[in-house]
Amino acid sequence: MTGVPRDEGLQPERTALAWHRTVLGVIVGALLLGAAGLRSGHWVIVWAAVVVALLALAPAVLRRPTGGLPSHGRLYSWSFLVRLVLLVLLLAGTGAAWALYRAVEAL
Amino acid sequence: MTAGAGDRSGSDPGDHRRPRWVYGEGTEPDARFSLANERTALAWVRTGVGLVAGGVALTSFSTFANLPGLVDVVAAVACLVGGGCAIYALVSWRRNERALRRREPLPAPGGLPVLVTAVILLAVLIAGYAAAAGLGESAVLP
Repeated sequence: MTGVPRDEGLQPERTALAWHRTVLGVIVGALLLGAAGLRSGHWVIVWAAVVVALLALAPAVLRRPTGGLPSHGRLYSWSFLVRLVLLVLLLAGTGAAWALYRAVEAL
Repeated sequence: MTAGAGDRSGSDPGDHRRPRWVYGEGTEPDARFSLANERTALAWVRTGVGLVAGGVALTSFSTFANLPGLVDVVAAVACLVGGGCAIYALVSWRRNERALRRREPLPAPGGLPVLVTAVILLAVLIAGYAAAAGLGESAVLP
């Protein structure tokens, strides 16, 4: 076998780019939350946003688009997917808690 | 690499990947199918992130513009539906990968109708609020 076998449908690239889009989305979401936390002075929200943004970078760094299919035919997607989903849940939980806190406060 | 992948019978004893519910079943599918499954799961995660970001944006907007509590409730629902999308990404990835490995037809995307219903509900709530606010304003103004 000469080098990494390429797939003509560019599936590995598309998958890597999908990861990057997702990571970008998580980071933008975290920035939005962090900015809102800064303006309203909730430091817990700011720190949660910073942690999410930094941790979300891990799959982007570890899953670079090489263009090759996995050399030994095995993909390790599950652990990355679980970590990313946990970050999104942290973001969702912080956002929902803040919104509900405000809704209760307004009563 | 993909050639002969279907020859492996049963689960590969050298394969220690988790979750075992998926990798302990069937044989290795074409890597491209697994990659497509991964992209589908990521699309669900992105949908969830979009909803969460929308909810967060709505809450911060309501904080700065001093909007009533209803807007915050809508924002909280958006965040929770977004979190649900992220969890569904994991569930559907597991089910699809298992079906791929067992050479079975893929399960129906059961999360899709729920997501569509939730998005419609959020849209109606926001539209209703906007219409009510607009009507209220025109009643106050001469």
